[in-house]
Amino acid sequence: MFTTRRGLLVGAAVLAAAGCTETPAKIIDSDDDLTAALRQARSLSRAADSLGYADIAGDHLAHVATLERLLLPDAVEAEEAAGAIADAAALAEAEAAASDEARESCLTTTSDFAVLFGEIAASRAAHAAVIA
Amino acid sequence: MSAVDTGLAGEYAAIYAYGAAGVHLDEAVRDLAAALEAEHRDRRDALLDFYDGQGLEAASSKAAYDIAPIEDAETARALLLDVEERLTTAWRAGVASDEPGEREICLNMFIDSANAVARWKIAIGETAADPWPGRPEA
Repeated sequence: MFTTRRGLLVGAAVLAAAGCTETPAKIIDSDDDLTAALRQARSLSRAADSLGYADIAGDHLAHVATLERLLLPDAVEAEEAAGAIADAAALAEAEAAASDEARESCLTTTSDFAVLFGEIAASRAAHAAVIA
Repeated sequence: MSAVDTGLAGEYAAIYAYGAAGVHLDEAVRDLAAALEAEHRDRRDALLDFYDGQGLEAASSKAAYDIAPIEDAETARALLLDVEERLTTAWRAGVASDEPGEREICLNMFIDSANAVARWKIAIGETAADPWPGRPEA
């Protein structure tokens, strides 16, 4: 009956409305991608800040703020610092990799957040270009 | 007019603008401008291939485009920044497409365009940071 993820979520909402379950329906159906984007934005922000790229860190913090708003109430807790990004070359590489992930999310999402993922991918790619 | 149509028209206009502005630019940014112009030509060619692949007919470029007057190196640099930023906004709009092929090509062009804006801004002494490339100002 509900063969796609979106269909499943719609089905959950229907069942919830009918009183068949106490599980609330979720609004967002791409939370894995949003969560991954948030974790990367936090990590990149810390790395950029530690290497003296304050403007770039600020871009990532803007992404963090937006993603945190979208993910509520499924808030993602702060995690421990990820693997070290020790220099500009490593930061450029991390920015490029994170851009690729956001690009993939943009292409595969069925949500309304394609443009958001695209913006994040473009911003990260631009960072990689100017740091390199 | 589709988002790809708008973007292709923007790429044509960008190539024209680089051609008009190039001679006014100072030495420090001339090489980058040449590289960016070449990238616009590559993107135009990729777009024409996209139209071919879709069995669609692409619009041709115009003989001339209405661009801001170029009086010196400063106005040339400003014109090219304006062209790049407008193009980024145009490609960003196409990313909202529900048609996978159109979304993908618009996304690729959007990322390349944001990349070009950032490099050009650094070259002309501006900060390249921008969390939301191409997003129209509220």
